[in-house]
Amino acid sequence: MALSLAWRLFKRELQQGQLLLIILAITLAVLSVSGLARVSERLQVAINGQATQFIAADRIIDSPVKIDAAILATAEDLGLKHVTNMQFNSMVYSGDKFQLVTVRAVEAGYPLKGDIELTSGKTKDLPQADEIWFETRLGGLLGYPKSIELGNSEFVLSNEISRLPDAGFNPFASSPVVLMRIEDVAKTGVIQPGSRVTYLYQFTGDEASLTAFEQSVKPLLNSSQRWVDVQSGDSPIAGAVKRAERFLLLASLMGIALACAAIGIAAQRYCQRHYDVVAMLKTFGASAKQIRLLFGMHLLLVTLLGIGLGLIGGGLLDFGISYLLPPEIAAYSPPLTRPLLLGIGTGLISAFMFSAYPLLRLLAIPPLRVLQRQLEGLQLGMWLHFLLSLGAMTLLGYLYSQSWTLTLTVVSAVLLLGVLLSVLGFVMIRLGHSVGMKTTNPLQLALAGLRRRARQNAVQLVGFSAALVLLLTILALRQDLLNEWQKQLPENAPNYFLVNIAPDDAKPLNDFMTAKSIAATDIYPVIRGRLTQINGEALISNEQAEAGEQGRVGISRELNLTWRKTLPANNELLEGHFNQAADEVSVESGVAERLGIGIGDKLTYVIDNQELIVKVASIRAVHWETLQPNFFMIFTEEALAPFAYTSMASFYLNDQQAMNDLSTNGQATNSQALNADGTPKDAVILALIQQFPTISIIDVGAMVGQLRQIIEQVSLSLTLVLVLVLFASALVLIAQTEAGMATRQRELAVLRTFGASGWLLRSATGLEFALLGGIAGVLAVIVAEFALYLLKTQVFELNVYMHWPWWGIAPVSGALLVALLGVWRCRQLLNQSCSELLKASS
Amino acid sequence: MSNVILKNSAINVVNLEKSVITQEGVLTILKGINLDVKQGDSVAILGPSGSGKSTLLGLLAALDTPTSGEIWLDGVALSPLNEEQKAALRKQKVSFIFQSFMLVDTLTALENVMLPAELAGVKNAKEKAQAMLERVGLSHRLTHLPKQLSGGEQQRVAIARAFICEPKVLFADEPTGNLDGVNGHKIADMLFELNQESHTTLILVTHDLQLAKRCQRQLVMDNGHLQEESIQSSFNTPPLANAKEA
Repeated sequence: MALSLAWRLFKRELQQGQLLLIILAITLAVLSVSGLARVSERLQVAINGQATQFIAADRIIDSPVKIDAAILATAEDLGLKHVTNMQFNSMVYSGDKFQLVTVRAVEAGYPLKGDIELTSGKTKDLPQADEIWFETRLGGLLGYPKSIELGNSEFVLSNEISRLPDAGFNPFASSPVVLMRIEDVAKTGVIQPGSRVTYLYQFTGDEASLTAFEQSVKPLLNSSQRWVDVQSGDSPIAGAVKRAERFLLLASLMGIALACAAIGIAAQRYCQRHYDVVAMLKTFGASAKQIRLLFGMHLLLVTLLGIGLGLIGGGLLDFGISYLLPPEIAAYSPPLTRPLLLGIGTGLISAFMFSAYPLLRLLAIPPLRVLQRQLEGLQLGMWLHFLLSLGAMTLLGYLYSQSWTLTLTVVSAVLLLGVLLSVLGFVMIRLGHSVGMKTTNPLQLALAGLRRRARQNAVQLVGFSAALVLLLTILALRQDLLNEWQKQLPENAPNYFLVNIAPDDAKPLNDFMTAKSIAATDIYPVIRGRLTQINGEALISNEQAEAGEQGRVGISRELNLTWRKTLPANNELLEGHFNQAADEVSVESGVAERLGIGIGDKLTYVIDNQELIVKVASIRAVHWETLQPNFFMIFTEEALAPFAYTSMASFYLNDQQAMNDLSTNGQATNSQALNADGTPKDAVILALIQQFPTISIIDVGAMVGQLRQIIEQVSLSLTLVLVLVLFASALVLIAQTEAGMATRQRELAVLRTFGASGWLLRSATGLEFALLGGIAGVLAVIVAEFALYLLKTQVFELNVYMHWPWWGIAPVSGALLVALLGVWRCRQLLNQSCSELLKASS
Repeated sequence: MSNVILKNSAINVVNLEKSVITQEGVLTILKGINLDVKQGDSVAILGPSGSGKSTLLGLLAALDTPTSGEIWLDGVALSPLNEEQKAALRKQKVSFIFQSFMLVDTLTALENVMLPAELAGVKNAKEKAQAMLERVGLSHRLTHLPKQLSGGEQQRVAIARAFICEPKVLFADEPTGNLDGVNGHKIADMLFELNQESHTTLILVTHDLQLAKRCQRQLVMDNGHLQEESIQSSFNTPPLANAKEA
């Protein structure tokens, strides 16, 4: 009987729209979780997939020596694909010309991610045996010979490389790169005992296997070996990827929290509507078991429908989003299991845990309520509801994010809101006593209404404020993240770097740029030097330390040193003052920490076999992820000018500028200045190469383009989540407004009966809601600023600042929004006649 | 209490008292109530507002628990029973009609009438409900929701619901209180007609003197005490001065 009645009640209430609010709330919670889980996984795979192209693999082990074969065996056992590369510097010869190059010797299968870009287009091929592919500038430097000598062997120069996928961003890589087969290295004879070689072991596979591999292998690596993934280190996209993932998680959590709040409010309403039904059923002899079964089943049906709709909605959301993504990303279909299980779990947990308290009260309604309508049965402590709600929110938050930091931050903000509101509710009641019960004008009536319904209003304030807090927080974070990325990649970010600029070339280069109307960025002088002592203590290398030598470990290679008059734009002074005296140096914070360097320490450098001693005047933080030249050590001009130096600069060249020169100078006559398909190379670049043959030109345009694409995808996901949070906020506002309707209906009936005009009631209702919304807006700003402080400092590493405009906008917006919503919801009541109101409220 | 007396009694009350705790202290609503209602009797309980009529009704119907005293409902003592047992007793023996109808507004007229029969596990609940609705003249309104029915029609649905399980005792709390004079009379006619047909004991709380007169007995609540009154003899004297002619 209970089951058939539950089904009947469910069907009827669904047809009459009485379950709309609670079903919408559950649907939104499930949709947020399942849809976002799938979309965010798709985006993360896309972002990480693109990002891994920057390292041509999912994971890399970077080692100065060959690694243990057992490590490669472990990778194979886990089903990971791997390739081995070698990288070393060597001289190549062609006739009487020679050039220092960086050799990349690769195994078949390279690259595991991304493609090699030749001047003729992308390729999946590799050089054949006895073949070498070369960077454009090597061709220019050697005059495009047919073959070159490397060590004891001769190699045919075949294809011209535009970019290797893992070329990275290193403007200091002044040697041109050549690509050859690893099998050809031995016969060159260039690798001898003591030769400096970097072994790059690249791996790819599924996430689980990669994680298992990392856990087993990372502890085996020594200090000279590095474990590299897309998020480690300071690559331009590492920070963006990390922050994007955290934002997605956080915003999704907030969306879920809001949806859960909406469920709680809707569940309260749902139960209250059934108080009389339960009393009547008990009067007619329904047992406690029958009532439990009836409403348990009813709630289960509501929940299942909400889950079903939410899963469908989540699927549609994912489907829709995939249309907006590039085809290669849309083609990837994330596994269904986790989003599905998360969605179902969210629906069940949120529906039952948020409904538990109202449901317990419903089941305890006494049958005597049929004669004494004021009876509401068991008065369980609100602490129970509070505990269940917080518990549910925390559990769901952790299940989704797997991050206690994020989860607890969101929960803390909710708690703070609750505390603030309790205080405010108390203050309202105390203040309201002096207002009295005047009803001569709408404002007085509104204030009186606020006081009369102080407790209910305090509850409504929670809902309104929570919705506004989360909306403000997500808005601010999204904007800050987008601004941060915009700073990293401004509109005309340099897409070319020039290195190895001789001092004599500086002015002519400047004139060249001016003539072509190209704005070059700062010129950085670059000098190679080695740090040998700290406070007179000689430093040893990592290798020496590994070999058992005693001593303080320094940096085992030469550094690129520069001088500046002022602090670079993307640096932040942490301690001390930026170079003022000639013998002062500014040190990057990571290096300072690693080497134990502090303010006042004396550092000894060897430059061109000469010693230079300087004093540490400042420690600075560097934003490594920006596409700007960054330096560990910055000196003064007086200290470094005596040494031989070259310079580097960067500039932005758009396609139009690249081709302009062609129209004034005519076709390029040098056949090797043509791309393989016969189109002329960028004319400006060609002119640069010809006029300044010793300057190295590094094209980072492709990488910048890839980075922009990643950021666009991330921005899309941020916007998507913002929209979801907006919907969830709106739902909470509607649910809260709905919750107060019954009481308001009775009041309106009485006031109408005693002659209150329609204008008075409409104005008073609007003002009351406006006051509530305004107060909610103020509260929302206070809590949002606090939450943003926590999130920016603990999670996102963004700059913290007050959002002063919010202090005006939020209360006004809150007042307008809630007033409009409240008046819209009450319009039916406000338009009813006196008798209709009385009849409905009885 | 004598078994012979209980056998013929639908309701028997001995020394019933009900007190509640208020902010001003203990308030005794019912004082030393004694009552015996035979099976098949119809009894009206009258009295001014706040006199304790509804409180008494709630106690007699096993919806509430007295402070002291004893109630037997169809021979079953209520005091030893827990809530589940009282519910079971109500399911078997008792039915209700309310001033505010108390229909489930999301169920149709037919489904509302079926409710008590379904609770009691009656197999042909639907057919019985249809028959009851036909009996009260609403065979053309089976699928209508309460909001689509007039006040009188809603109360007729409530009456059909009350009688579907052929209760031993019917409690009616101001059954015509929300109805105008004409509809009130019609409802009263229907109520008493069905009551006579089914030989149900009727306990009726009302302000309506005309309605009260139709019962075999009239009891008056006054200051927590219950007195038997004859409507004719006490028409113009207190405590019925507060009750109104319909």
